[in-house]
Amino acid sequence: MDIIIQSLVAVYNPMTFLLVCVGMLFGMICGALPGLSTSMAIILLLPFTYSMDPIMAIILMVSCYVGGSCGGSISSILLKTPGTPEAVATTFDGYPMAQKGKAGEALGLAVTASSFGTIFSAFVMLLASPMLAQAALSFQSAEYFGLGLIGLSCITSLGAKNQTKAVVSVMIGLMIGTIGIDSINGVERFAFEQPSLLNGINYISVMIGAFAVAEVYKNIEEYRHVDTSLRSEHKVKIKLLKFSEMAKMWSSFIRGSVIGTIIGIIPAAGGSIASLIAYGSEAQNENANPKFGEGNPRGIIAPECSHNAAVGGSMVPTLTLGIPGSPVAAVIMAAFLIIGLTPGPMLLREQPIMLNAIFLALITAALLLFVGGRFVTSQFGHILKLPYPLLGSLIITLGLVGAYSLKNSFYDVLIMFVFGLVGYFFDKFKYSNAAVILGLILGEIIENSLRKQIIIGDGSGMGFVTRPVSVLVLTVAVLTFLWPMMSKKIKKNKLARQVSQ
Amino acid sequence: MAAEIVFNILIGLGVLFYLAQAIQLPATDNPADVLGAGGFPIIIGVIALIGLAMITIHTIKEKRKVDIPMLNLRSVDGRMVFINVLVLAAYVGLLDVIGFVLATLIYLVVAPLSMGYRKPAALAVFSGVTTAVMVVVFGILFYVPLPRGAELFRDLSYLIY
Repeated sequence: MDIIIQSLVAVYNPMTFLLVCVGMLFGMICGALPGLSTSMAIILLLPFTYSMDPIMAIILMVSCYVGGSCGGSISSILLKTPGTPEAVATTFDGYPMAQKGKAGEALGLAVTASSFGTIFSAFVMLLASPMLAQAALSFQSAEYFGLGLIGLSCITSLGAKNQTKAVVSVMIGLMIGTIGIDSINGVERFAFEQPSLLNGINYISVMIGAFAVAEVYKNIEEYRHVDTSLRSEHKVKIKLLKFSEMAKMWSSFIRGSVIGTIIGIIPAAGGSIASLIAYGSEAQNENANPKFGEGNPRGIIAPECSHNAAVGGSMVPTLTLGIPGSPVAAVIMAAFLIIGLTPGPMLLREQPIMLNAIFLALITAALLLFVGGRFVTSQFGHILKLPYPLLGSLIITLGLVGAYSLKNSFYDVLIMFVFGLVGYFFDKFKYSNAAVILGLILGEIIENSLRKQIIIGDGSGMGFVTRPVSVLVLTVAVLTFLWPMMSKKIKKNKLARQVSQ
Repeated sequence: MAAEIVFNILIGLGVLFYLAQAIQLPATDNPADVLGAGGFPIIIGVIALIGLAMITIHTIKEKRKVDIPMLNLRSVDGRMVFINVLVLAAYVGLLDVIGFVLATLIYLVVAPLSMGYRKPAALAVFSGVTTAVMVVVFGILFYVPLPRGAELFRDLSYLIY
């Protein structure tokens, strides 16, 4: 009881509450701006934390993590330019919804889902941290391979119009992902002795090119023939979900949050993989109306719940084992060390109120997302009022800053430019840009875990079917791949039976 | 239809080149690494080729016409997109020479003009304000690296961000 009271006092004093607000808002702004990321936002806050009380410092960073994770969806929905890698899946349905004049609704869904996902994972973190962290350690290469395959199952929904083109697109993404040094045995692959290619092709610059730049080209062709005032609302204002609306889509909220929390707990997986897997699992429903990829609300809820649930999830192994659950959690872990705390089993003993304080900070930041979301969205809304020639040029410039700032490299800008053209033609010939990105993101985890497991098995792939967790994950992966085809066949048979009767 | 077939052939040639490179990748010393560095690329390359062949056959059968304005320079829309691709190429090329500030200033004037925007005063304000805001927010406030250009432009950029 003492610990709970101390935690409440630690979080709900004016100074700490202010830090939660500032951290959340700062994270949200950085998340919404392509070129700044959640990790960068936390790094920028780091110098301010040196002289702070450790708990206050961690609360500031965790709040920033929550805000950043949600902020990326704002530019995803409004500009088709994901502000953070986690927000890639939100563009699939968020942008089409905004195009239909429902930007406010899409943003409301994103904020509500982000908030729900954060709160869900905060409770899981509080109640089951040590146990879950141990379970996550049982994930090895075979299971990671299965996870990658579950993520790839998205293509069955992303390429609803032409499955073969979606498969080819995913293969192209996987092929691009193999460029650079092979991380298993250090062989240089497809780099043609170009130093800039040795580190591989960053998916953020590909994504900015294929999504944002290609979309600008497309809009240049169309904007003179379309009344743009009908496509985007004059004033973008978040429309929050009512409880009854939430209740109708409860399954998407829960599914997304569970997936996000689990993936967040698994070391080094992170929010971007979580959101893709959640989107994939959601988009299995073929009868959805509107279809996935055309502005389905569940296509926003699932990834948003998932990547924000990964925030709390990723704190579990970070706090209890000292193993970061995501790239951003790795930055937070570094911050722990800088301020003199060592994450791991001893931390919760030495700092008994830490876990409760982080839990309360997560909940508070999640609730404040509604306020921060309104503010940041209204500022972004002004940009949308620009005539398209100005808006299009601005999107390109923002994208360029985003690509360049990744590695301070001109080469990433070239990648963005090239994939702008590739994305344009892919769009015209009905290939799937989203599937290319999916392959590029998941390629590394799939290839490396496949080969690692075979190496562990001394050249045999039996490890995939002898490990119980692996069997479970692979079964889910195979089912998610086959389910759309199976459900089609079941429906066909049903229809045939009805006709014959 | 012809454009799509040409596009598929181009992708196919790219995949064949990728496969040729993958086959030449050195074998690993570790006998347990059955796939080696080239195994996975060969698998995905072959799947991509099979998929492409299926798509091309389907395209030939379907005979669907795809409108691609960028390839039709006789249309106003086509010219507009094509010019914008060139303007962006020039912007990207200039970044490393004259730096972010000047290149962005010029791009934000030229790109809207090439999209048919004809309000010079508004354009000048937009270009100046946007460039300034970007430099202040990204370059000064958040220390985000921005291209500096070469020689004199590089030296000058250090005075700003």
